Amino acid sequence: MNGYIRICDVEKYYGNGANITKAVDRVSFDVDRGEFVGVMGASGSGKTTLLNMLSTIDRVTAGHIFYGDTDITELSEDGLSEFRKRNLGFVFQDYNLLDTLTIEENIVLAMTLHRKDKAEIRERCGAMMKMLGIADIGGKFPYQVSGGQKQRCACARALINQPKLLLADEPTGALDSKAAQTLLETFTRMNAELGATIFMVTHDAFSASYCSRILFLKDGKIFHELIRAGRERRVFLNEILDVLSLTGGELSDVR
Amino acid sequence: MLGKLAVRNVKRSARDYLVYVITMTFVTALMFAFNSIIFSQDIRMRVDQVGIMAALVGLATFFIVIIVAWLINYMVRFMLEKRSREFGTYLLLGMKKKEISRLYLRENMLMGAGAFGFGLLFGVLLQQILMAVLYTMIQTDYQLRLEFNGWCILTTAGCYGGCYLLALFRCKSRFKRMNICDLMSAGSKNEEIHESHERVKRWLLPVSLGFLLLFGLRLFYGGLLGGWDGGTVLAFIVGLVLTVYLFYTGLSSSIVCYIRGEGEGIYRGQNLFLLRQLSSKIKTMRFTMGTITALFMLAFLGCTVAMMFSDYQNKVLKEKFPFDVQVYSGNVEDDFQRELAVIEEEAVVKEAYPYQIYTNGTAQVNEWLYTHLREFGSMYLTPEGEPDARALEERDDGCYCEFDTYMKLSDYNHLREMLGYGMVSLRENEYAIHIKSRVLGEKGDFSEHLNVEGWEGQLKFSGYHTEPFSQDGHNGGDYVIVVSDSACELTPYYAELAVDIRGKAPEGLGDRLDDLDKKDVFSHLDWEGEEEPPGANNSCCGSDAIITYAAVNLVRDNVIPEVKYMLSSIVFPCFYIGLVFVCVALTVLSVQQLSDSAKYRFRYGVLSKMGLSRLEVAGVIRRQLIAYYLCPALFAAVIAGIIGLFVSRKFIFYTGVETEVFQYFGISFLLFSGIYLVYFLTTYVQFRQNAERGI
Repeated sequence: MNGYIRICDVEKYYGNGANITKAVDRVSFDVDRGEFVGVMGASGSGKTTLLNMLSTIDRVTAGHIFYGDTDITELSEDGLSEFRKRNLGFVFQDYNLLDTLTIEENIVLAMTLHRKDKAEIRERCGAMMKMLGIADIGGKFPYQVSGGQKQRCACARALINQPKLLLADEPTGALDSKAAQTLLETFTRMNAELGATIFMVTHDAFSASYCSRILFLKDGKIFHELIRAGRERRVFLNEILDVLSLTGGELSDVR
Repeated sequence: MLGKLAVRNVKRSARDYLVYVITMTFVTALMFAFNSIIFSQDIRMRVDQVGIMAALVGLATFFIVIIVAWLINYMVRFMLEKRSREFGTYLLLGMKKKEISRLYLRENMLMGAGAFGFGLLFGVLLQQILMAVLYTMIQTDYQLRLEFNGWCILTTAGCYGGCYLLALFRCKSRFKRMNICDLMSAGSKNEEIHESHERVKRWLLPVSLGFLLLFGLRLFYGGLLGGWDGGTVLAFIVGLVLTVYLFYTGLSSSIVCYIRGEGEGIYRGQNLFLLRQLSSKIKTMRFTMGTITALFMLAFLGCTVAMMFSDYQNKVLKEKFPFDVQVYSGNVEDDFQRELAVIEEEAVVKEAYPYQIYTNGTAQVNEWLYTHLREFGSMYLTPEGEPDARALEERDDGCYCEFDTYMKLSDYNHLREMLGYGMVSLRENEYAIHIKSRVLGEKGDFSEHLNVEGWEGQLKFSGYHTEPFSQDGHNGGDYVIVVSDSACELTPYYAELAVDIRGKAPEGLGDRLDDLDKKDVFSHLDWEGEEEPPGANNSCCGSDAIITYAAVNLVRDNVIPEVKYMLSSIVFPCFYIGLVFVCVALTVLSVQQLSDSAKYRFRYGVLSKMGLSRLEVAGVIRRQLIAYYLCPALFAAVIAGIIGLFVSRKFIFYTGVETEVFQYFGISFLLFSGIYLVYFLTTYVQFRQNAERGI
């Protein structure tokens, strides 16, 4: 479905007067329902700023972001909180799990904040943990489990309320290659089986190869786009690497 | 360069741990202000019993130094842990451990010195307030004046330095054990929660509460559950200490078990987060929480005791000395000419009334009181509960004279007139009893047990009178029997002089009367340490306990300030201890929370990303802080409440002060709540600011 999430001429400036830095410069794109979109770019290219604006954590300087018919740039502080609660899920590089809660409780908390009843919480939580392969470690504290398990817990927490969009900021950044692969396969399954729409920021080509579409960002602007379109992941990875090799890893002068 | 680094670090630490610096400033100010009472030349000139105040403030200072040293030690370790990464960086840069430890010590000393300097300035202000309060108590006008006594500053510096010396004693060795790797990773480590045997440990909560219940029952209904002997007292003290510390293990485990048992409550809103926060914090801080509870408890009790004596000062003291001047003489022939000469020399006498107290050679009231008042317990009873004749005969406690004390109606009415009371009329065959309201209140009417013989048979009892009547050895001890002037055969027992003077009695009048040193008064009260005086035992002081003041010469305007100063010697150190302990405990709570708010601000960021608005996050913080702050305060209030109410009841009972039993603890609780609220709000505002940076 076209226009599920629409980003229209979004700008984000930092500083004032002569010291203005354009972190995001007139960026526009759409994300369709059930898409798995990746954003790649060098450090300082504006990818995290873009994610922060999509996730309502940061405000745009100009432009609009539509989730369906809702323009989140027009929402009040309270409206944004409510919107975040109902529509977004987050997965971050450093997991951001609450260390005083067990793995299971981290997931449960996300539902209790939505005032769901106990039976529903138990049922959905159990199913989600089973699906993500963390049912056995539900009673453990975050410090007692591996990075991959923590990140899968973060995924479960992000998806338990069936958000419109799952936002992932370098989700594999702190994981070893095996754990990273497991997580990305989990993302793919969530995308395929649960129909989750995922927006992932990464600078790792291997991670990006799991996406259905990749936006390349440079100096705050989208300068290239790759669409997987049913091709094998290996082929798609090579295409990404081609783009990267052309830029010497710095993503410059790609034509 | 290191000096510059130390100064910058101190500035940063003072900003980060502002609550701690303010508390240290306040402690210095309190130390200086209280020490200045001891060293004040003016007070020394005015009051004889300066030594008592000095001894008690000194004792309070001893405990305060220990507790403040504990606070400094706690803070030094705490800051060391929080700055471990920074110290690791110093090591990486090539600094030696010795240099780092010296730098850290220097920083602490600088911060301490800064707090001390500001504390002295604030102390001068506090000194003026304290002096004004004290001078009002001892009924003297206070002129604002700065008093910088070298010894006072030196003592304050000594106490303050002592705290630091105790606290920093083992700081160096801590640096020796450090290595770079541990230091660099210490800051990023989260508290590890180890949960084991929670189902067993949770029983500590009901056991602790059960012990408290038993403790309360034992205190209030000791008779029902057996008496108090040394072993029982020791067992209860040990039990109480264990309860204070084990309660938190039990509480934390109970919360964990509730969460694990999937209680309904955890599925409501942010409860799961709040309960987990609370249980994990209590678990890792259980020992500190126990110590904080003990400090709160001691502060409550200190304040309660201070309230008791302060209340006594305000309510009872004036009633204790209703006459301007009263003089006792064991010699019934004494005409008090020498005393009157001294009084007339110093003041304008409106009226002087010499009279006599009589006896009929029986001791039925004395014996009844000895064998029935709770103050005497079973001292004068046989194991069967009968009056112990031998013990009564051998008694030398000085509470009552050898024989009952009588007063003639004409004398009695004259004295009542002097005090502005209404006249009392008695028929020839009647008698009345003037008695302390406390004594009458305790046992009620006991006239049916008395047999007062008149010329024409037994006299009829007409009633009790309980107005303040100087019954601590002057107009009898606790009571005097009043009869018509010719109702029965009476022999003079001792002589009294009551004087009404115009205006206030001059300072030192009492001393000059004492200087007359009349040995012929045969006062048993004045012969302490000397050979027992000859003659009948005709002196007494009544059965008041806790606070008694009996003297041959009583000059009200001299005695009340003197007694008030003595009582202030208890009130002031108790407040001193209470204030410092509360501030120390609240500082630890506050610093812990503020540090957590900086280290774990991501938690609130996560809640925000889960959709909680800023207002809701603020609500979570508020509830989290309230729970955390209330835990030790409420638990301490329960324990101190039990002990405080028990002590208050005893105090009211023994002193006769008319107050509700809850009042002393209630006011202490309110005072405590005031200070508590200041710390709570400061912490809440800073906590919110810190947490919002993570959102």
